[in-house]
Amino acid sequence: MSGAYKKVNRGVTLTLWERLYFPEVIRGVLIAAGHFVPNFVSVTKAYFGGKPSDRKIMTIYYPEEKPVLPEAYRGKPVLVRARDGRGKCVACGLCEVACPPKCISIVGGQREDGTRYPVTYVLNGAVCIFCGFCEEACPEEAIVMSDRYEGLCEYDRKPMVYDKEALLVPEEKLTRRLDYIRRRMYGKWNY
Amino acid sequence: MADIFPGPDIFPAGMLPSLVEMMAKIIFIFTMNMGVFAPLLGWVERKQSALMQDRIGANRADILGFTVFGLLHTLTDAIKLLTKEDFIPEGADRPLHYLAPFIAVVPALIAFAVIPFGGQYDLWGHKTNLVIADLDVGVLFVFAVASISTYGSVIAGWASNNNWSLLGGVRVAAQMLSYEVAMGLALVGIFMVYGTLRLTDIGVAQENFLHWGIFLQPLGFILFITCALAENKRTPFDIPEAESELIAGYFTEYSGLKFAMFWMAEFLEMVTISGVLVALFFGGWQIPFVSGAALARLFGFLGPNLAQVAVMLVHVAVFWAKILLWIFILMLIRWTLPRFRYDQVMKLGWKIILPLSLINILVTGLVMLLVK
Amino acid sequence: MSELRMDLHTEPMILSMGPSHPATHGTVRFLLKLDGEKILNCDTEIGYLHRAFEKHCENGTWTQAFPYTDRLNYNSAVQNNVAYALAAEELLGVAGKMPERAVYVRTIMCELARLADHYTNLGAATLELGALTAFLYFVEARELVWDLIESVCGARLTSNYVRIGGLASDLPEGFADHVKRVFATNREHWRQFDKLLTKNRIFMDRMRDTGAISAEDAIALGFTGPCLRAAGVEYDVRKANPYLVYDRVDFDVPVGTTGDNFDKYLVRMEEINQSLRIVEQLLGKLPKGPININDASVRNPAKEDVKNQIQSMIHHFKNTIEGITVPAGEVYVPTEGSNGEVGFYLVSVGGGKPWKCRVRPPSFALTQGVGEMVKGAFLADIIPTFDMINLIGGECDR
Repeated sequence: MSGAYKKVNRGVTLTLWERLYFPEVIRGVLIAAGHFVPNFVSVTKAYFGGKPSDRKIMTIYYPEEKPVLPEAYRGKPVLVRARDGRGKCVACGLCEVACPPKCISIVGGQREDGTRYPVTYVLNGAVCIFCGFCEEACPEEAIVMSDRYEGLCEYDRKPMVYDKEALLVPEEKLTRRLDYIRRRMYGKWNY
Repeated sequence: MADIFPGPDIFPAGMLPSLVEMMAKIIFIFTMNMGVFAPLLGWVERKQSALMQDRIGANRADILGFTVFGLLHTLTDAIKLLTKEDFIPEGADRPLHYLAPFIAVVPALIAFAVIPFGGQYDLWGHKTNLVIADLDVGVLFVFAVASISTYGSVIAGWASNNNWSLLGGVRVAAQMLSYEVAMGLALVGIFMVYGTLRLTDIGVAQENFLHWGIFLQPLGFILFITCALAENKRTPFDIPEAESELIAGYFTEYSGLKFAMFWMAEFLEMVTISGVLVALFFGGWQIPFVSGAALARLFGFLGPNLAQVAVMLVHVAVFWAKILLWIFILMLIRWTLPRFRYDQVMKLGWKIILPLSLINILVTGLVMLLVK
Repeated sequence: MSELRMDLHTEPMILSMGPSHPATHGTVRFLLKLDGEKILNCDTEIGYLHRAFEKHCENGTWTQAFPYTDRLNYNSAVQNNVAYALAAEELLGVAGKMPERAVYVRTIMCELARLADHYTNLGAATLELGALTAFLYFVEARELVWDLIESVCGARLTSNYVRIGGLASDLPEGFADHVKRVFATNREHWRQFDKLLTKNRIFMDRMRDTGAISAEDAIALGFTGPCLRAAGVEYDVRKANPYLVYDRVDFDVPVGTTGDNFDKYLVRMEEINQSLRIVEQLLGKLPKGPININDASVRNPAKEDVKNQIQSMIHHFKNTIEGITVPAGEVYVPTEGSNGEVGFYLVSVGGGKPWKCRVRPPSFALTQGVGEMVKGAFLADIIPTFDMINLIGGECDR
């Protein structure tokens, strides 16, 4: 296709007008004032109960306002608790090896009915890099990246080591993510 | 003997009201500067810059859930600065290190003494002049005091025993010296036009809207505001404290309340600069097209004395409103422009502003001759 | 005067700028020898952010290196993902067999990452020159671009998006509309930024004729990317050695003349416009279809196949546990990162782990030029020069 190397216009020769500092200063100040005035009006209006929606301000009032997360968002990895109350994990150990920083450790066991389950499942949240490889590796859709991003940091490392109970989340709460990974990530359509 | 010990009649006739008036004025200016502007400008700066940049700005500190537009951050700032460790680096010149912030902050306060924040009013037979010290060399006094504050920064840079501070101190010295010359010359035109150095007289002379300094001396105004920005040491002239180059320049090694004093000095200088700007170029306390006499007629129904009081209050309010407007503009400039380089500041001061101010004097003189 | 100078004992001031200094973001140290404000000598010390990237990669499977490549140039993480994937695919011999959609999406993501990088770089440069408002306008623009990247990759910085033989996920629904909305605002931000700075005399004085480098010196020092093009050398990997679908889109490559900071600034500003153009063109042409290569030994099989077909299950387990088996050999694939040429040199001795994973970071070569570029200049000139170099510690020190 077309397109080539093009010299940028350095504009070294300024007109006298531009040389004078002042016109440019005024122009810059006007641009900034152009942001200030509407923001000032809308913030003041919002303070007195007006609609804050018309403001240009990007900031999210964090604890009161939460960001809208995309479906793809990778938050804390969690284990899926199936509708029958059992975890879906069969302790195959794939997530353990797929994890680049090696933050998962599993001890597998067998239930009386012959199904396998993790006796202990420890995920070290202080080491996890939220890459999502465990989710990709899991053949059972038993570990997924939830959209949880709060409460992942602690002053101490001990509470950041999550055991099975801290990781299990009912399937109903993860339908958005499960639907997303089936629809957008691992369907048969994708190769 | 009788003069020295006047007996029971301590005050000569008329001195008591004068003393009361003087005290009232001093207290008023002091509270306006230290009580309102010094703490509040920190808040204004944060909020204004935030809104310019599509942010919200400080809004979290609250008492019982009331944030009052983030105003309480001023309070928390004060508490933080008061309780912070007062750090003096090893090898610093301790007495000078202590002294520097005081030298920086006091002149900024004193300079306001000669700026008239209202006109002259006849209240109950007592002539009231709304300026603390009506010096006949008013503007020169402002310059003199402002140049003292330079010592604060230079000493701070020297006494900190830190290379960054030293560089900052050297930059302050060079910048302040260059711009004081230009600033003084930029204002000569104003003195020529009004024929006086007394700020109150200049204020009275600007009663006619078309006789405002900005119309009589447009070039002088642009030169003065540039120099004033440079004296204020804020962007684009903040090379002595350029945080990306010199960390914090001359006050790198200051913490706690002494740091706060440099901070306050900067804000108070901004108020003083706005005050001088308003007094010299923007009609002082005058309202465009509305003379004091007209205003007094408007309030005539209050009786002659109360009408004068009302006029005085309006004038004082107008003066501070103008100052606020100028602070707003100075802040807009501060947050929008990139900063100069050291040699460029010098070049601008000596090679552009100084010759231009000389030309301004020449042109003003010629025009005055021709008009006469 | 000269007598005074003989009597006066003067010596240059030694100043250590960094590693903890507001301007040396990315942790680098300049050991300056100053005569007043003039720089007599500037020694650059790097390595404060060394994290043993190569050893990390060599200790994991081929796939496990992706999260680590994110952390090289964290402003444009997807480009590193792509560069690594291209190199690995070349080694695997599947480079020509990639599905169209995957290649298009990779290109789109690369350009979005370039946008984010240039916004950050130019914004940070103005921030350090004192113009905070302009900085925040570009941060807003970058924020919107990162929202786009997040909606595709699941994370803003640590994208981890590309895989050997494809992509982690497909574009979300309504992506094209989202891009259109974001780009409209981005253009507005660009205009305002341009108005605030490009013709501003103060800004020009700071940028112009500072940090200049000649084309020969730039080539000799191994410069690539905007810094090389600013010196007037017409070299862009996207044009000189087209990869992905860059040969199918219409875009210009801006070139400067003197190689000073102002040229670098202008080149980057123009590249933002070109990246916007590229993304818009590609979104118009984006083909439908699969995003992964149809090769069971490389891609992850669908989850239902893993459960139901023993063959898929074996592939899945083998690929995850042992890693994709890459034949022995070595390869170097250059790509155009936001800062310059990003290339991975990979050596395989067969098996699931890279034997050697060396990255050629543009920042490393650029940083060694700083001392040369600021010699004889003022202390304050380090700031724009270093900003326009855009040192990313993660990439330079690895």
